[in-house]
Amino acid sequence: MAGAHQTPSAMMKPLAKLFKKLQTFIKCTENRTSILPQKKIIHGQPEEEEFNYQTTRCLSSYYSIFVARLAIMVMLAILIGMLTMLTWHFTKVYTMNSINSLAYGLRYELLQRPILRVWNILNSTVEITMAQVKLSEYVISHYEKPLSQEPAELHQMMRDVTWALFSSRTALDAITISYRNGFVQAFHRDHRSNTTFYIYCELVNSSVNQGKAHHGHIHKPRDRPASAIWYRERLDPVTGEKKGDRRQIPPDDLIKIAGLAEVQDGAASWRVAVSKFTDSPLLSAALPVRHPSGGSIVAAVGVTTALKSVGQLMKELVDFHSGYMYLTSLEGYVLATSTDAPLLRNTTGRKLMMATDFEDHIIRSGAEWLQRAYGNKFPINHEVHAENVLLGNQRYYIDSFFLNLTRLPLVGVIIIPRKYILGKVDQIGFTTLVILISASICFLAIGCVCILILTSGVSKAMKLRAELISQLDARRRAEASSNYKSQFLANMSHELRTPMAAVIGLLDILIYDDCLTNEQFATVTQIRKCSTALLRLLNNILDLSKVESGKLVLEEAEFDLGRELEGLVDMFSVQCINHNVETILDLSDDMPKVVRGDSARIVQIFTNLISNSIKFTSEGHIILRGWCDGSNHSSRPECSEAQKMSQCALRNRSKQHESIVKKEYQKNDKITLWFEVEDTGCGIDPSKWESVFESFEQADPSTTRMHGGTGLGLCIVRNLVNKMGGEINVVKKDGQGTLMQLSLLLGMPEDCTVNSFQTEFGKYSLKVLLALHGKQSRSIMSQWLREKGFFTWEASEWNGLTQILQQVFQENMQWSTSEPINLSRIRVVPRENSIHKMGGLDILIVVDISLLDQSTNIWKQQLIFLDQYRGKAKFAWMLSHDTSNAIKVELRRKGHFLMINKPLYKTKMTNILHAIVNEGNFENEKGSNQLNSSMDEDLHESHDLDSIHFDAISSDVSDISDMDNRDSKINTFYSEEEITERNPESHQPSYSNSQKISTQRVPLDKIIKKPNILLETENLINMSKDFTETDKHGGIIMDYSCRYGYNKDNKKNMISSITDNLQDIKPQAVVGNEDAFLKLNQPHDGGESVIEQEYQWNVKPTLYNKGDIKQKMIAKTSMASPGNTHAEGMEKQLSTERSVELAYRGSRLLENQDMHYSVHKNDCVALSSLVPDQNPLGGLCILLAEDNPILQRVATTMLEKKGAKVIAVGDGMQAVDAIKCMLCAEENKRQNSTHQDDVAEGLSELQKYTSFDLVLMDCQMPKLDGYEATKTIRNIEAGTGLHIPIVAVTAHAMSSDEAKCLEVGMDAYLTKPIDSKLMVSTILSLTKRDV
Amino acid sequence: MEVACLQRRFIDLTATIFQQEILDSQFTQLQQLQDESSPNFIHEVVSLFFQEAEKLLNELSKALDQQIVDFKKVDAHVHRLKGSSASIGARRVKDVCIAFRSCCEENNKDGCIQHLQQVNQEYYLVKSNLEDLLKLEKQILASGGSIPTMK
Repeated sequence: MAGAHQTPSAMMKPLAKLFKKLQTFIKCTENRTSILPQKKIIHGQPEEEEFNYQTTRCLSSYYSIFVARLAIMVMLAILIGMLTMLTWHFTKVYTMNSINSLAYGLRYELLQRPILRVWNILNSTVEITMAQVKLSEYVISHYEKPLSQEPAELHQMMRDVTWALFSSRTALDAITISYRNGFVQAFHRDHRSNTTFYIYCELVNSSVNQGKAHHGHIHKPRDRPASAIWYRERLDPVTGEKKGDRRQIPPDDLIKIAGLAEVQDGAASWRVAVSKFTDSPLLSAALPVRHPSGGSIVAAVGVTTALKSVGQLMKELVDFHSGYMYLTSLEGYVLATSTDAPLLRNTTGRKLMMATDFEDHIIRSGAEWLQRAYGNKFPINHEVHAENVLLGNQRYYIDSFFLNLTRLPLVGVIIIPRKYILGKVDQIGFTTLVILISASICFLAIGCVCILILTSGVSKAMKLRAELISQLDARRRAEASSNYKSQFLANMSHELRTPMAAVIGLLDILIYDDCLTNEQFATVTQIRKCSTALLRLLNNILDLSKVESGKLVLEEAEFDLGRELEGLVDMFSVQCINHNVETILDLSDDMPKVVRGDSARIVQIFTNLISNSIKFTSEGHIILRGWCDGSNHSSRPECSEAQKMSQCALRNRSKQHESIVKKEYQKNDKITLWFEVEDTGCGIDPSKWESVFESFEQADPSTTRMHGGTGLGLCIVRNLVNKMGGEINVVKKDGQGTLMQLSLLLGMPEDCTVNSFQTEFGKYSLKVLLALHGKQSRSIMSQWLREKGFFTWEASEWNGLTQILQQVFQENMQWSTSEPINLSRIRVVPRENSIHKMGGLDILIVVDISLLDQSTNIWKQQLIFLDQYRGKAKFAWMLSHDTSNAIKVELRRKGHFLMINKPLYKTKMTNILHAIVNEGNFENEKGSNQLNSSMDEDLHESHDLDSIHFDAISSDVSDISDMDNRDSKINTFYSEEEITERNPESHQPSYSNSQKISTQRVPLDKIIKKPNILLETENLINMSKDFTETDKHGGIIMDYSCRYGYNKDNKKNMISSITDNLQDIKPQAVVGNEDAFLKLNQPHDGGESVIEQEYQWNVKPTLYNKGDIKQKMIAKTSMASPGNTHAEGMEKQLSTERSVELAYRGSRLLENQDMHYSVHKNDCVALSSLVPDQNPLGGLCILLAEDNPILQRVATTMLEKKGAKVIAVGDGMQAVDAIKCMLCAEENKRQNSTHQDDVAEGLSELQKYTSFDLVLMDCQMPKLDGYEATKTIRNIEAGTGLHIPIVAVTAHAMSSDEAKCLEVGMDAYLTKPIDSKLMVSTILSLTKRDV
Repeated sequence: MEVACLQRRFIDLTATIFQQEILDSQFTQLQQLQDESSPNFIHEVVSLFFQEAEKLLNELSKALDQQIVDFKKVDAHVHRLKGSSASIGARRVKDVCIAFRSCCEENNKDGCIQHLQQVNQEYYLVKSNLEDLLKLEKQILASGGSIPTMK
């Protein structure tokens, strides 16, 4: 078992080594892998921190993995080792046990056999001895009597008997009989020579001795035979015959003859003897022969047996089994061994050897071991079983057995080599162990590899997961920080914007202050510009953060895209002129006029793009192109169809030159619009095409110094464009500059049909001479005109213009004769009678004022030069913002009223063409080049449209558009009014349709009519001298003229330029006015026109003759073709009588118009609300529900200042009561209108103002809050059909509150603290419809 | 001379008040509303504000002294105070009220008490300033001068 314990520990050592190696290997690989990211760190400096963090994490994870691996491996090793050990141990124990028991049996058996033999030998010896004794006794008794006479006979007898016995037992060595008298008879057998001897002795003094022998001297000492003579006779071993002579031999020489001394006690004696002649010890037994009667011993019989046979047996056994055996006497003398070694010592006579002195070293050492181990203290039964005794260098089993014979105890020892019994077992055990160990090592190795593989997979996954977690962490942090950034920016810019707005507002006030010196004014203007720039930057940042944080919500409203873009181009063209850059708008005709979207954002997109382009373009042009996505748009065929239609209907619609192209769109249909902004600036490097759209990114950072900017513009643009479902890219461009292309996905208006007005000018066969400075705009315009069917020339400078003019007019002379040829060259258009109507005046010359030499006074000559063509062609002048007043005045003086501001784009061109065509018609009728009001009108129309655009786009353009100071200021004010008035309307879609149209129209009409009115006023003033009747109307209209007093300048101009003409041909002018009026009413919806016509219808019969009635009839029926009226107007011209009447009619019409105005009284009120000393809220009665006394007081005062009557109540309950009372009063009024006064008197203070026009409702009030109060009021109203506008006043500025307010039935929403302007405008917008 | 001096002082005081944001544009609007038809308007409104604010501040301190604070009630009071101060243009009182309300929403009693102290401070600041202003105004009027208009 000790070995079994040793081996596993020995086995553990290599395992441990293996582990150590594995560990080092793992460490190595880990080091390698952990080194790699560290190397990376060196490359990526900014990420260092992150990586460090990562590596530490990695390392710790490595360690944990490593520990896990180690633990698993150790456990595996222990498991396998245990299994091995247990298997081996149990196998071994069981095997050993069974084998040991077997071996013990074997050994015992082996030893038993020689002992049995010895026992047999002893027994047989005893038997023979006993037999000899019995025979001897018998013989002696037989010869008792004659004993004394003849002893020889006795001896002879004895000899025969003994011989018979001796020969029967061949194993016997000798039989001796020694008589009392000393006579000895013996037979001896020499086994080596196989001879048998008879030995006897002759008594010399027989006579002496005989007596003694007979007479009891039998017990004579043995030494007596010394006197005897010993003889030996050789006998035949079979027969016993004498074969040789007797020979005398020394006594006792051959054999040990048992003497009487040995049997003195009468018992058998045993002893081991040695003889001279044998190598092996002899066993001799002696028994006394007693006298049969006397019982005295008469002789002793001795039998000697050699123990050699025992040795032989042992040898045989050992030969078969291997090992050693020996028998010893109790004293330790070796009696028999299994070896051939001599048993006797020859040194001093033959003696027995001690086992410890034995020659054979195995036996000797075995005996020595036994003696060492036990000494003399053997166990009682003398049995010893020892295993694994090391003798020499082999292991042996030693077993000893004790055989307790009387007088001769024997000890048998067997020494069997361990190898013999357990050799195979040990061997097999060893190989098994080896196999087990190797197998377990194999298992361990495989297991370790498996663990490595598995854990490496796991560790990879863990590593990845750790990395992923850290990445996610980093991402979250980054997102959070960017979110913080956005929020911070949003908050900051909001905080900054508020004071900025205040600063700008205050500066505005300061600028309009009259008491500023020029220097101060300049400074303040400068400050204002800077503030605007700063505000713009802040707005940009806010926009960006808004878009980035996803808070930007795009508005969805219908707007006129074309108009917005035109305004934009107008605005930028002013900026560009200083830069020597053209700004061109090139929108394709198929673009829808009205789209749905966030107009402010779209304008912002283009503002950013264009201002960006302007920044980098020092000369050249900037083109804004726009077209429609061709795939879902096919207007061309329809267009041509419409052309045909319009041509067919030409007679009926000679005055209305617009054909309506109807495009059918699905509801909520989206349309993709494409735009391009092209410039000729420094361009962007292709590698930066993507990055310019990043925030704070500029194509060339050095430009910041020169051009400023933060690089936010394009980023905002891209964000906005993406938000609108489009894309923006920089596109490759031929030549210098940048080309940005973007698409926008915009909604179509909800009313499915879109009227896109396309003018049909083709039939007038106009020829246009474009004398424009800018090359690009000229070519684009001329191309467009050609598409529309005009013939165009182009001139870029004064010389070119004069050249073309000369050529053209020479040709023109020829044309009148050879017209068709030229026509075919331009475009074949069926023109019918329109040609002669134009009367040769079919050439339009558009002249850029910058073509004139303005630096000197040459322009005057140039104008005079152009003047010679006036009769032959129409002139349209392109003014720029810096055109001096002198030129304008001069132009007007010369009768050029068709003036427009730069830049020229299609809408303006269309307007010019309209004007020309219309003028042409009048010219046809009147046949002279008199002043025509329509021309003026057009002129002003274009002017006014300009200014509207200007201001509608951005209110801070006023600094850019430094128009003729005061004039422009007034214009700005005017348009602001316009806007404030229009805004609330556009926010109320519930407004009834017709009203909406009319209210929207009216202000527009007013703009258009404004000059017209002035003219008419003038006319009336003039006419009033002749017709006193009209004085009254004139007075009314004078009132209007006062209201529009700020147009004084214009008016004066008008007067100066037209007074002369007017004085002479009043009637005509009046006719013209009338026509103009009719024409102006064209855009009005039918209802108004009908009203107007009916009015005429009602009035006319009393004033005019039948012819006139007829004429009016015609006028009424042919509203769409007022051309007829003109034709008739021509007739009218013939009689002065009629003209007077017509003049009166004109005045009546003006009155009508006046009434028409009064219908829209509120608009007028709203319009003039900012005019000081007016009570915009005059006549309104307002119920104010407000619990806070301060606010109540403040609001009351505010409203009263504006002219309203205010009833204040403290809570919602009172408000509801007040409304109830009012409704009751209404009911009463309705029921008994006759007793109205009585009822009114009976009512309480509250009910004095029986009708509230509006309720201002605080949202948070005691008893009944604003929401509940509103709900109650709306419930009360439910049956009556009334609707009192309720305006919420709340301190909550959240949009959710607004939604809540609107939800409960409130009409509008004001935040505290109340802004009086906002409040007034809100109230007006709500109360207007009650009128 | 005296009038001019008073007027200058008035202008200075107004400027400081506006600079410190004790009052804002709302007050300017109120000043514009005061004319011949309502000569005592400002005084009227301001004293209304004083009454209201003092009442509310009392209520607030009472409400916050309670063991269990009724935050809804406190919130309503603060809201009223906010409305009042906003209408008079007491900017800083209003700002503190806004913060106060957010505290109320969180049911943060300590914060509320802290804010109440702030509101008190701001209120007394406004009050003293307004009283000075009104006194000055009265003096100017008494000495026959006109109140300089603020832009």
